[in-house]
Amino acid sequence: MNRITAFADRNRKEILRDPLSYIFCLAFPLAMLVVMTLVNSTIPKDSGMTVFRIDNLAVGIAVFGQTFVMLFTGLTVSKDRSGSFLVRMYATPMESSDFTLGYLLPMLAIALAQNLLIFAASFVVSLITGPAINPLGLLASLITLIPSAILYICIGLLFGTLFSEKAAPGLCSIIISLSSFVGGVWFDPDNAGGIMLTICRLLPFYYCTRSGRSAIRLDFGTDTWVIPLLIVVLCAAALAVLASVVFRSKMKADLS
Amino acid sequence: MEMIETRNLTRKYGENTAVNNLSLTVGEGELFALLGVNGAGKTTTIRMLSCLSKPTSGEAFVDGHSCSTESREVKQVIGLSPQDTAVADHLTVRENLEFMAAVYGYSKAEVKQRTDRIMEEFHLGEVENQRAQTLSGGWKRKLSIAMALISDPKVLFLDEPTLGLDVLARRELWREIEKLKGKMTIVLTTHYMEEAEHLSDRIGIMISGQIAAVGTLQEILAKGGADNLEDAFVAIAEKEGIA
Repeated sequence: MNRITAFADRNRKEILRDPLSYIFCLAFPLAMLVVMTLVNSTIPKDSGMTVFRIDNLAVGIAVFGQTFVMLFTGLTVSKDRSGSFLVRMYATPMESSDFTLGYLLPMLAIALAQNLLIFAASFVVSLITGPAINPLGLLASLITLIPSAILYICIGLLFGTLFSEKAAPGLCSIIISLSSFVGGVWFDPDNAGGIMLTICRLLPFYYCTRSGRSAIRLDFGTDTWVIPLLIVVLCAAALAVLASVVFRSKMKADLS
Repeated sequence: MEMIETRNLTRKYGENTAVNNLSLTVGEGELFALLGVNGAGKTTTIRMLSCLSKPTSGEAFVDGHSCSTESREVKQVIGLSPQDTAVADHLTVRENLEFMAAVYGYSKAEVKQRTDRIMEEFHLGEVENQRAQTLSGGWKRKLSIAMALISDPKVLFLDEPTLGLDVLARRELWREIEKLKGKMTIVLTTHYMEEAEHLSDRIGIMISGQIAAVGTLQEILAKGGADNLEDAFVAIAEKEGIA
């Protein structure tokens, strides 16, 4: 456990001391929260478009923020792999599970802190614009979004392990664009229907925002919360196993 | 007592043989320099001895443990300072040392005690709270070696420790390495003749993946029929048909 906490602590410090991580993981999502709130104020009430209503927007922005944690996970892992830092670490008693957990845990803590701040800001915005978000709903959504954070972090870990320092961030950017679109961050797939909804339902991102949005409304129905959350949990677990297996096999290949 | 032993150690990358039938021993407390030009196989040898690469054939033992089948035991007794400094850029000097100590599983109190001791030994106090990314090349190398020493290894591998350093930083690092002599077994790779001459108890001249000559400085000079290491190196290389 000592090795994992030592490595996790190192990774946490490396991320939190990089000013870019604050810009991408916090300032940008918060700016989007404000911008989209302003956009929402210009949308006619009778249009039926509720994706930017503060309760929906808060969850959308929280998931959007998690995608940047994915980006920084990919960056950190690929940077460590491309330099000789991991070579030094490979010559210590560190094992592959120490590395994967050492990357995952601090990123999860950062994602949780990020979502907490986004939800706090959303709560303040909701008090100004109305309708006020139920704090219990925020808490429920914060917890519901934990598997989603794991899912994104594992994608970052996977890309960082498989690809170079230059390729990994680029691929993560594709996932950021894809997931914010098909995940329903910027539009409502249920309202769109048709082929778009079908595509969204084939990917796990849609279920991240859907389960979070249900939780914030304290709607814990089977179709609206349980099943979407279950899908996210299963996908996160599968990606965690995959990322861990890939990291181990890459480490084995590096040491062969 | 032999601390390192290799028996016909060979490493191939496809058709290219990086290390070819290397057999050598390094005694306890000895500073052994692997001297050779770029691509001679020095780093590959260090990688195999520190369990970072598997030999294609042959065997390597560190402190009696096989590098192939007992890598966990080997990793407990070695310290490695790679060619690139390999420090955590955003961590301070103290944090880098504490991090490495924690990786070896020491208690919080022991981590602090070891960090304090190594910082004092390497005179790192003046840069204690400076982030590694802001350090000069010389300080980074010192930190890198200090990190490799935090676990009190029985064997220390220094891969080109002074590569790219200016003459003053190099001399400063030599002094630090000299202080370690006799306290542990050190294997140092270098392509600087004066470095091998100045620091080592024995020198192994590596040419095209093979040990062309091994012995004390005097023995190497006698073998090369020269009165300085550079001439001896060239003579031995020519004899091997390399130069």
